[in-house]
Amino acid sequence: MANVIVNRVKEFLKRFPPFSFLNDDALTLVAEQVEVRFIAKDEFLFLQGDPAQKFFFVLKEGTVHLTEKEKEEVQVMEVCDEGDVFGVLALLGRRPYILNAQAKEDSLIYAIPVAAFEKILQENSRVALYFAAGFASGQVVVRTDLSQSQKARTTFKEVSKDAGLLIFTGQSDLNYSSQVLTCAQGTSIQEAVVAMAEKGVGSIVITNLKQHPIGILTDKDLRNRLIAKNKNYDTPIDELMTSPVITKKKDAAFSDLYLTMIKNRLHHLIFTEDGSPDSPVTGILSDHDILLSQGNSPAVLINALLNTWDLSEMAKIRERAEHLLRYYLENEVSMDFVANIISEINDTIIRRAVQMACKKHEAAHPEASKVKFCFMSLGSEGREEQLLRTDLDNAIVFEDVPKEKLESTQAYMLLIASDVIETLLACGFEACPAEIMANNPKWCQPLSSWKELFSDWIHSPNQEALMNATIFFDFRPIIGHKVLAEELSEHIYNEIAGKSIFLNFLAKNALLNPPPLGFFRNFIVEKSGEQKDKFDIKLRAMMPLADIARLLILSHRLIGINNTFKRFEKLADIEPNYRELMLEAGKAYEILMRMRATEGLQEGNSGRYIQPEKLGKLQRQLLKNAFAPIDELQKIIRVRFQLDYFGS
Amino acid sequence: MSYKKSFESGFSWIISAVDMGLFDFLRPKQIPKAAFIADYEALFEKKIAAVRPISQLTFIILDTETTGLDPKKDYIISFGAIKLQQFTIPISSSKEWYLKVPIANAEAIQVHEIIHTLSPMRLEDFAQQFLKYVGTDILVGHHVGFDLAMLEKALRPFGLKKLLNPVLDTQYLAMRLEKGPHFDSSMGKPGEFALDSLCKRYGIELDDRHTAAGDAFLTAQLLMKLLKLAEKKGINDYGTLMR
Repeated sequence: MANVIVNRVKEFLKRFPPFSFLNDDALTLVAEQVEVRFIAKDEFLFLQGDPAQKFFFVLKEGTVHLTEKEKEEVQVMEVCDEGDVFGVLALLGRRPYILNAQAKEDSLIYAIPVAAFEKILQENSRVALYFAAGFASGQVVVRTDLSQSQKARTTFKEVSKDAGLLIFTGQSDLNYSSQVLTCAQGTSIQEAVVAMAEKGVGSIVITNLKQHPIGILTDKDLRNRLIAKNKNYDTPIDELMTSPVITKKKDAAFSDLYLTMIKNRLHHLIFTEDGSPDSPVTGILSDHDILLSQGNSPAVLINALLNTWDLSEMAKIRERAEHLLRYYLENEVSMDFVANIISEINDTIIRRAVQMACKKHEAAHPEASKVKFCFMSLGSEGREEQLLRTDLDNAIVFEDVPKEKLESTQAYMLLIASDVIETLLACGFEACPAEIMANNPKWCQPLSSWKELFSDWIHSPNQEALMNATIFFDFRPIIGHKVLAEELSEHIYNEIAGKSIFLNFLAKNALLNPPPLGFFRNFIVEKSGEQKDKFDIKLRAMMPLADIARLLILSHRLIGINNTFKRFEKLADIEPNYRELMLEAGKAYEILMRMRATEGLQEGNSGRYIQPEKLGKLQRQLLKNAFAPIDELQKIIRVRFQLDYFGS
Repeated sequence: MSYKKSFESGFSWIISAVDMGLFDFLRPKQIPKAAFIADYEALFEKKIAAVRPISQLTFIILDTETTGLDPKKDYIISFGAIKLQQFTIPISSSKEWYLKVPIANAEAIQVHEIIHTLSPMRLEDFAQQFLKYVGTDILVGHHVGFDLAMLEKALRPFGLKKLLNPVLDTQYLAMRLEKGPHFDSSMGKPGEFALDSLCKRYGIELDDRHTAAGDAFLTAQLLMKLLKLAEKKGINDYGTLMR
């Protein structure tokens, strides 16, 4: 039995991965072999190039910097704080250390003998994955595979009870009746049927004196067992009922209920107090209830949207899509799929909103309503990345009309746009604070004006032009005459072709937000205001990636790929030299999207600001890993677009 | 009820009384010396060289839990200890032993038998294993005089007169490092050099439960920090440390 000292070591270790994945016995074995070491401020635990020790390390107290010395310059690669695991090269490959470990304040270190861990590494796949995914500090070499990180993340999560039934959204939507029609044993069929008819239900539960369910009789039984068999209406119900009955507790997991019904071919499942047939009836669940509860599957939602013209109904459906999103996030459904589904639902709502507006106004504007137009989504919705109902960014492009008709045409388009925006707001979307919306006359223009606008931005890229570019260059036609949007795309690429200076500006813009790499302790957080001490995941992590993807895609003159992670996938194909990095960046973006959406759903906001200390150790490490490609890409862009020689 | 000396403050006279040999007259004069005591005493023929650097010394940091504060009447209930070498504390060297206590004091252990599932040792087994464990290493403790008095009492029935190991008191070491060698502890603030205060001052996380082993572990961590501080002040070998 472990003594007090071993227990103290255990208690500390088990708070942190990978030790948290060990069972008690394994952890005791590890704790018994720990060595507590002390390194005073400025002392080194190991040096770059030193042969690997027989230990790897966990920081118990203090601060340790992992630094890299290149020529004469020492760069801090990582700051370890309490619970951080480092120096794992010893464990992984017994290669010499690639970094220095130096105490920045007096530090206590738990040294874990590699020998104590080797067996665990082989036998415990979660621990193995922890190291393979590069979650330990200073694991520069192994770190570059984010797919391992993602895999690890999924593995480390508690396996959801009904992961196999992804189309279902969980219990909360399940409606069942708690008013159950019952009758006593020995009741005649005649009496039972009258009661069923009175209540308008298709089933009756037969109970004993204690109200325990004995059997059930349904409409179908009346057909098959009574009329077809030509039995007398005075027959006691006991002779015709299905008995015994299968029962469950009403708070059983949805998948459990559903599978029970499928396996036993039940149309009705009886709920009892304790779930056994030997306790009183509390409710009944029909297969119809189940069908209704499946209403949150994407196909059903989209179908429902296509079948309604009612605003409040649309709002409700969009609300249900949020449940769907939550469910997908909880179950680690691939981001590609999730983004697709949610974008499709958003697009369907926008289309329906436009149709509703046209229907309402076209009669009063016979001429203007004949003008072809295209409603476009911009920004994150344009990139098919808008999971939460954050800012609306959209615009209308309409075909060129004779000068004298321009005013009235634009007025009509604005009328449509205002209605659409109102519909979207009613569906829970937020208005764009910068008013980049189709109901703003500036962004509701004929094709020729749009072309001029883009030409202007490309020819004289000032700060405002660049900001607009980052939003407008991700436009995507949603409904209407898509040729208009395509023509605009073509125009843009022709304009860019001769103007490499514009790409330089765009590149400069993409480097405005360096990632907070390797500084977890000093996460770059907001310094003041409402979001003080929070980390801006959009500005610091997502925008740099989206900007880089857009820039590179534009520089390769590729059309039609709007999604940031798909852009990176495409870039991986056309830049084989950087294939790995591009794939990494795409995955990092997916991880960030997922984190932001999860945060937003939890907090009921945009999810943009994350409190670093609220993240679990693993999440922080995951986020840390996701930053690595940003830094790499920014370095490449700096060289490729020669930004060091490019003044402002 | 059992006693941890760190809870109390009114016992320092006991230590000085022990140190001054005032209890010597209580010892029965001739107890036959057990073989393991003779073996232990034989180890001390060679002395540790004064110039041996601190990093080459082995320290045994120990603590006891007793039935009371009077070495004359009271007994050790539990003993905890751990080693320190080269600024490293191997957890595998940790010991936590529970002792069988004479019937008269059984009340005190009842509480402990509920808490501790470790089975108590016979006194003779303890005496043998203790001496084997400590060898000639430096014994360290916080207010260690009391613990040594209790240990010597426990070992006396087997013929031990005195523990021969070098002794280092972390409370004294902390005072020496912080206030200088001539500091008069009666001038300081009460409790300023108690284990809890020192741990707080040196950034060592405290555990809320006081056990012999737990306190030994805390003291060991404190010792590491004090030794590092001592090195900076030029106290870097056995001679200057034990001065």
